[in-house]
Amino acid sequence: MSTDAPAHVSRTRAGEPVTLLEAIGEALWEEMERDERVFLMGEDIGAYGGAFKVTRGFLDHFGPERVIDTPISEGGFTGAAAGAAHMGLRPVVEMQFMDFISPAYDILTNYIATSLYRGAGPMPLVVRGPVGGGNRGGPFHSQNVEMAFFHTPGLKIVYPSNPHDAKGLLKAAIRDDNPVIFEEHKGLYRAPHCRQVLAREDYVVPLGRARTALEGDDLTVATYGLMVHRSLDAAAELAKDGIRVEVIDLRTLLPLDDEAIAASVQKTGKLLIVHEDTRTGGIAGEIAIRMNERAFEWLDGPILRVTAIDSPVPFSGELEDYFLPSVEDIGTAARYLVNY
Amino acid sequence: MVREPASPSRPSNTAGFGREVAEDLAFHGFQARFLEDRVRALAHAGEIDPRHASFAIDVRSTVIARAMYRAADGSGDLCYPGGHAPGPSLAFGATPLEFLRHLACKATSAGGAREGGSSWADTRRGLIGWAGPCGFMTQVLAGAALAFRRRRQNRAALAFEGSRALDAGGWHEGMNLAGALRAPLIVVLDAGTAGGADRVPSIGAVAEGYGFAFAELGQDPFEALVDRVTAARRRAVDGAGPTLLRLGPRSDSGPWALHESFLASVADQWGLAGPELDAIERAARAGVDHAVARLGKEPSPEPRDALAPVRTDHEPSPPWTRRESPSPGPVEPQTGSGHVH
Repeated sequence: MSTDAPAHVSRTRAGEPVTLLEAIGEALWEEMERDERVFLMGEDIGAYGGAFKVTRGFLDHFGPERVIDTPISEGGFTGAAAGAAHMGLRPVVEMQFMDFISPAYDILTNYIATSLYRGAGPMPLVVRGPVGGGNRGGPFHSQNVEMAFFHTPGLKIVYPSNPHDAKGLLKAAIRDDNPVIFEEHKGLYRAPHCRQVLAREDYVVPLGRARTALEGDDLTVATYGLMVHRSLDAAAELAKDGIRVEVIDLRTLLPLDDEAIAASVQKTGKLLIVHEDTRTGGIAGEIAIRMNERAFEWLDGPILRVTAIDSPVPFSGELEDYFLPSVEDIGTAARYLVNY
Repeated sequence: MVREPASPSRPSNTAGFGREVAEDLAFHGFQARFLEDRVRALAHAGEIDPRHASFAIDVRSTVIARAMYRAADGSGDLCYPGGHAPGPSLAFGATPLEFLRHLACKATSAGGAREGGSSWADTRRGLIGWAGPCGFMTQVLAGAALAFRRRRQNRAALAFEGSRALDAGGWHEGMNLAGALRAPLIVVLDAGTAGGADRVPSIGAVAEGYGFAFAELGQDPFEALVDRVTAARRRAVDGAGPTLLRLGPRSDSGPWALHESFLASVADQWGLAGPELDAIERAARAGVDHAVARLGKEPSPEPRDALAPVRTDHEPSPPWTRRESPSPGPVEPQTGSGHVH
């Protein structure tokens, strides 16, 4: 049971640019080719190729023992993935939408995250899937789930913003011996402006390290995922007025790269945190207290945040646009801080 | 214990296993009995957590697990001991001392004292333990079983679940998944414990609905338990699908009636003489006695060391946390670093 790689996971080899969705597919394909322990589980990922077609063609090439169509049972197949990981395999579980990870919350937090603690050994397992709003998906197909798991020691959380990072981070996640939750923003999946030509050579992006997406010295914006692009758009507008924004793309949320944020704050003296997730209990609160601990002496203004409002994600377009952080919201907060 | 000499008549073994297995099951029965007695005594004496005063071992779980362990030559199968942890853990090769270290949260325990109780994980030995919500481990063992099949290994997974699993959605998800994917899995459902057993009278129908074979285990003699488990295991590794074994209530004749009955039959069945049984009994007792004597000398954990391998945060910089502050008084200003008030 072997076929050639389908086109959507062969673009880098052909020297063509890839979308974030294709980068995810390439990472999965290449890791499965590289390591026979890697296999996939999820709903409709085999014959159907996945709800977003990330795994189209995988079943024909890798066979049904490595591309497993599961019952609609997120808790059950995440638990089964844990058992396979105990036995030395490296499962990658797809949530059709990350909103549906909640049935697996129990097994993820109580069992999988505690494996190393309990002496049950490594738990090399990735749970990946689409997140985020802006697609008029309503409250059950638009959520960001990072903070539901951020409070759980033993897990790692990754949230890329571009194809290069998505491919390298997913490969790193698959090779990691800890359970990793990997969030992919639907708004970036096929976004034309995100297409990148990637290196043909095998590479990983180490977990736990942020990157500087834009250098500046007036203000630090710490953000991730789709909000990196909104922040860069806001920075471009602010630059017209001579305001130089530094944008830090966190890439990995757990563990959080405190050093990178603190280093930027020590340069700019101002910190704005932007996330698409809702406000209360969002990652901005944790970053703020960490910078209070690590960089208080360098701060020349309050730490501010721009986030979604505390509400379920609306279905109506007008409501969802109001709910989500906008370029204008980021610009307004940034100007306030710069002038503080 | 003094026993009558073995009958001079020729043994008439009608069981599916030989004398070596009979000796082995006799030993594990004795070991379980002695361990149960000693743990209860330790708890009553306050030497371990008093909650273990009602510690109990169902010898049937020992026999079932031992049959699986031996079927894979002691190196292959996988067991989640569940609420039956003592018996299956020992059957899968844990020593009484290892068991007591874990029960008493000693630094030398498998989890470095981070986990206690009676269930722990040692995947090299084929044990995956846990003490969380019931039902989950059927999912986990189903996944492990799929890994066996994927690697073409002659292995199967065995999960002991309490009857409360019948109430748990996670258990049903695990059963559905294992049945749909024909995982080489055996689930032993202890329908003798409190909970859902009475509310679900047709457990066999539940099992069959999920694509499991089903069998009842009541007060069957050891030989029958071994036969049932061996058949279920064969079905699993042959790819014919998983099996649910319902373990009925324990005997009204006392917890060790099955072991006594087995011991009474070994002379006729396998020609095991009284002195030979006495030697087996002494060996089992010596192992438990050694473990109990040793337990008091085992070190308690040092929290910082025990948690260091799993801690994922950073030590806070002083003096920003109360724990790290050198004194409760005013903190002296520091100069030079620009980092700390």
